[in-house]
Amino acid sequence: MTNYDPDKHPLIEMKGVTKAYNPRKGFFGRKGNKVLALNDIDLNIHKGEIFGLVGQSGSGKTTTGRLLVKLEDPTHGKIRLKGELINDLGGKPLQHFRSKVQMIFQDPYQSLNPHLSIAETISEPLVVHGIGSPESRREKVIQTLETVGLRPGKAFYNHYPHQLSGGQRQRVAVARAIVLDPEFIVADEPTSMLDATIAIQLLRLLSRIRDEFGMTFLFITHNLAAAKYLCDRVAVIHEGHIVEVNTAENIIRNPEHPYTKKLIKVQPGFRF
Amino acid sequence: MLNNHYVQRFVKGWRIFIKNPVGKAGIGILTVFMIMALASFCLPLFGPMYDPMTGIDPNIKISTPPSLTHWLGTDNVGRDIFAQLLEGAKVAFIVGLSSAFFSIVLGTVIGMVSGYAGGWVDAILMRTADIIMVMPSLVILLILASLFGQFNIWLIVFIIAIMRWPAVSRVIRSQTLSLKTRPFIEASRVAGASSVRIIFRHIMPNVLPLAFLYMTFRVTAAILVEAALSFLGFGDPSQVSWGMMLQWVWKSGHMFQAPYWLIPPGISISLLTLAFYMLGRAMDEVLDPRLRKEGQS
Repeated sequence: MTNYDPDKHPLIEMKGVTKAYNPRKGFFGRKGNKVLALNDIDLNIHKGEIFGLVGQSGSGKTTTGRLLVKLEDPTHGKIRLKGELINDLGGKPLQHFRSKVQMIFQDPYQSLNPHLSIAETISEPLVVHGIGSPESRREKVIQTLETVGLRPGKAFYNHYPHQLSGGQRQRVAVARAIVLDPEFIVADEPTSMLDATIAIQLLRLLSRIRDEFGMTFLFITHNLAAAKYLCDRVAVIHEGHIVEVNTAENIIRNPEHPYTKKLIKVQPGFRF
Repeated sequence: MLNNHYVQRFVKGWRIFIKNPVGKAGIGILTVFMIMALASFCLPLFGPMYDPMTGIDPNIKISTPPSLTHWLGTDNVGRDIFAQLLEGAKVAFIVGLSSAFFSIVLGTVIGMVSGYAGGWVDAILMRTADIIMVMPSLVILLILASLFGQFNIWLIVFIIAIMRWPAVSRVIRSQTLSLKTRPFIEASRVAGASSVRIIFRHIMPNVLPLAFLYMTFRVTAAILVEAALSFLGFGDPSQVSWGMMLQWVWKSGHMFQAPYWLIPPGISISLLTLAFYMLGRAMDEVLDPRLRKEGQS
């Protein structure tokens, strides 16, 4: 992992990835029908880009995100981070991987533990990976709070999630994701629970974090407009298949796949 | 760690709790018994005659009805019944609370581990819980007591706790199962937190109120089991308790001759268990907003 050459390998590489969910085995060992959430996916994400994954509910976009942060493992296929296989990581290498890859969840009301203060939530990754002393962690947390736009950081330090608005909570979730300076962040529909103006602010924040820290994002969304606003490249996913990958601009101007065309048509208020 | 957040939660819960008449009554009865239990520590001040176990009134050789020197009368060897009743309150609290505490700790930890780990760990723990749950605890205690002779009060407490954790662990396990898939648990996994950390840092604060609720019901159960055991003559003979008092009334043949001796411990057992039960019901309402009346929040 030390001699990683961004020109040679994409930061994230998915090859032939399939994820099947086995419904509960029937009585007497009868097998139910497999559900293929992802079917033979190939995807490359390059360092420093914001890569959009667009699709409707049930298309497998969230599953893709969960596989990339190793909340789940693929049934078949290989996933590489910086050229290194992550499929069977365990122990120390897995812990190292966990420090490099983070996730932002969809629902800011569910993704923060109501019984932990903001400081405790954001410093958890630091504590878990044994980084810094209590004082330096405090500094880092306050600094991160300010980075995500919760200023002054000290004012939010001892708050609890129920004292914050949805937008502020999502910023806390972003702070938790970036506090370890990870290389790759999966953002799973981070704006879908926020109202439009707050959502735009959050998109701006993600974009600024990419520019400032050079982090790479996978931005999962069902909203083509948000994808166009934020993403360098976009993949359209449909029923477990990636049907089209292109720059955000091209996807919207010259959609090739019939599903992409359909998707653009049904986006409300999306005129060119 | 005691911080503002938990204090606030407690105050908020307390406000809802105290509005509930059932909760108020429970707290009222409980306070009376607590005063009684505390008063039992003052008994030595009144001289050796009022020691609940060994204090004998030298002038009295038979059970006497209430008088000025003995407010609730004496038993058949001249011991003061009121002193015994106070001592019994203390013992009931000790037995009830410590046994409930053990079984809650055991049940909560096993429930959280079982729910979070899943798979064969879950299968083994829950089958064990099932086996213990269907055993009648009083009968088991009776058999053990008759096999190994009279038990010390702490051993009784411990055995009751061991017999009573499964129901708690089932509830905590199901709560854990629903918490396990919540995004904040997954966020913590993505951050690299270990299972032990997730269980104790993230799941525990969320199941703790439920554990306390079950604790009040376990207190009731433990007091009743201890009383039954003592009444049947398998209690700790060196320890005064309400069940033991009933056993003495029965054994000395005063069941129908000395109501002043029979009724107080009987009523006390019923009222104290009722108080804990009411406490639990009112706590239930704090924890489950659906049970609250309109306009309360």
